[in-house]
Amino acid sequence: MRHIDTNETNRDETNRDETTAVTSDVVVRITDLAVHFGAAKAVDGVSLDVAPGEVVALVGESGSGKTTLIRAVQGLQPVTAGSIELPGGESRGRRRRPDVQMVFQDPTGALNPRQTIHEIVAEGLRIRRERGDETARVIEALGRAGLRPAERFLHRYPHEISGGQRQRVVIAGAMVMEPRLLLADEPVASLDASIRGEILALMRSLVDETGLAIVAVTHDLGLAWNIADRIAVMYLGRIVELGPAEEVLADPQHPYTRALLSVVPEMERMEQQILVGETPDPARIPTGCRFHPRCPVVASGEAARLGIEARCRGEDVVLTERSPAHSAACHATA
Amino acid sequence: MTLDERGTVDAQGPYDTPLLQVDDLHVTYRTRSGDVPAVQGVTFTLERGGSLGLAGESGCGKSTLANAILRLLPTGTQVDGSVLLAGQDILAMKPGRLRSVRWTEGAIVFQGALHALNPVQQIGKQIAEPMLLHRTQPSKGAAARRVRELLEQVGLPGDRARSYPHQLSGGQRQRVLIAMALACEPALLLADEPTTALDVMVQAQVLALLADLRGEHGLSMIFITHDLSVLTDVCDSLAVMYAGRVVEEGPSDRVFRSPQHPYTRALAAAFPTIGDPASRLRPAGLAGDPPDPANLPGGCAFHPRCAVAEDRCRTTTPVLAPVAAGRRAACLLVEAAP
Repeated sequence: MRHIDTNETNRDETNRDETTAVTSDVVVRITDLAVHFGAAKAVDGVSLDVAPGEVVALVGESGSGKTTLIRAVQGLQPVTAGSIELPGGESRGRRRRPDVQMVFQDPTGALNPRQTIHEIVAEGLRIRRERGDETARVIEALGRAGLRPAERFLHRYPHEISGGQRQRVVIAGAMVMEPRLLLADEPVASLDASIRGEILALMRSLVDETGLAIVAVTHDLGLAWNIADRIAVMYLGRIVELGPAEEVLADPQHPYTRALLSVVPEMERMEQQILVGETPDPARIPTGCRFHPRCPVVASGEAARLGIEARCRGEDVVLTERSPAHSAACHATA
Repeated sequence: MTLDERGTVDAQGPYDTPLLQVDDLHVTYRTRSGDVPAVQGVTFTLERGGSLGLAGESGCGKSTLANAILRLLPTGTQVDGSVLLAGQDILAMKPGRLRSVRWTEGAIVFQGALHALNPVQQIGKQIAEPMLLHRTQPSKGAAARRVRELLEQVGLPGDRARSYPHQLSGGQRQRVLIAMALACEPALLLADEPTTALDVMVQAQVLALLADLRGEHGLSMIFITHDLSVLTDVCDSLAVMYAGRVVEEGPSDRVFRSPQHPYTRALAAAFPTIGDPASRLRPAGLAGDPPDPANLPGGCAFHPRCAVAEDRCRTTTPVLAPVAAGRRAACLLVEAAP
């Protein structure tokens, strides 16, 4: 267990070799993080800073390691190497941090059907024995999540409200802890089209109004366009492209990003590049650039023409800057 | 028209009639707490080789409609109107005939590929089952050969026939379900949210596969989803449903790009066009929830959520009326075509 909590006011207790001084302009600093499950390298060297008041969309296919990454940040997943620093706020050693909260994909599965909305939202407070003004805090959180008047919802059960309202209850349950960082795993993937926009608008308004930071795991680039300030594209345990959302979507630098963008329905201006197969087994990461076996630049002969095919197949590639704040890990576009 | 010895229209169907004609279809579920009208007067026609997208929120009646076409609804459900598949009256059909029509004329692919497969049987056996049941293949050997063919057709190696469902990924299982639906060479494939649980890249693979099947085998399709942008990519025409009725229909790209009904406008805006400044950092939703089918609002069922509703919308129920060539919408505020 090397999940690192840094408390700046009490550094002697929490300081470890991996930690360095962290300024207060980040809510989380991830440095060279690795999470391995036996031979499977689910996260294999990820560095990412998230600032207060920003939304980072973590995009990629199943098996890219994006869910494992946010589970590690939440402290649900032991870290193999590297560090996760969560500056500021209250720190209690290895215990999960109240200022980092998580929202899952399926609101129906996340709610206990036998509990009232009040009990569900208050659960975090009760676990942390913050019982003082519980009802007032629950009402405030419900209101923030757009469930108004909140008093009308307190004594209802999950089955008595709609799917969109359930996801708002899940968000209220996270917001009641007054988090600095919200980790959202496919927050709208199981919701109807009409509700999707409402929940995304809510997430964006929480960021704009309270300075909350959100890391949203998604495979939906439309979501990124709708709410994200930055996009981190993950492939097989690594971030392969990172940058401002507009730049990444308008001028993708990695062939994997280009392929993901080309298969978004309604992206007619791009020729579809449907990659064959699925993300390879993280226990057998390909040599060279880990994307090369599925890479359209290699498959089309473009890499050979550029004289870089041997490097694509044999030489690992790291993120390099393409413009300030925009970087990609690709031999062809370096 | 050619008739076979059973007195019904030849399985191939006469080519001058549409493959599917649904006329004034009503479906009412009988529940303990009363009747729930799920589909209220839906009429459409699907030509051979055509593809129709049915869009709408959960509970709008789109899955009920698909299930009604193959009579897959719970016993006791009240179904009125008519469904003619290749000229044959599905609602009047005897159970034996219906069973064979379900695989040989129209087959359905559901979402949630894991639950639709038997976990303890090799997938090849599951794909072969309808062929042997409906005797579309003369022997087990012939069925096994056809299974390999089908697997290759959906982009899986033929020797995957010996795999069990848990040995396959989600996308591969969805391909297996498509192979199974194609086993008896149906003319119509009903796909109910076939890509909803899948990753983007796998979704693109499955959509491309379905497009190939249409192109190469002349398969007709009805595609059901709440994601309007997916439908626009794969369907020629689009019908948007709200509270059991079709509220807008027409050629899919035109319905998506210039929606006439306020509900279609909200659905189309829910999926942003990447690069469009209007939706950047401005997610668009639709306030409120779909109405309870057992307790629909009067007048236009959409009026409580409609941003432009007027007084008359509360009392007058709009009907589908032509708004442009090949397009119809059910909204009092949309100008009728001259």
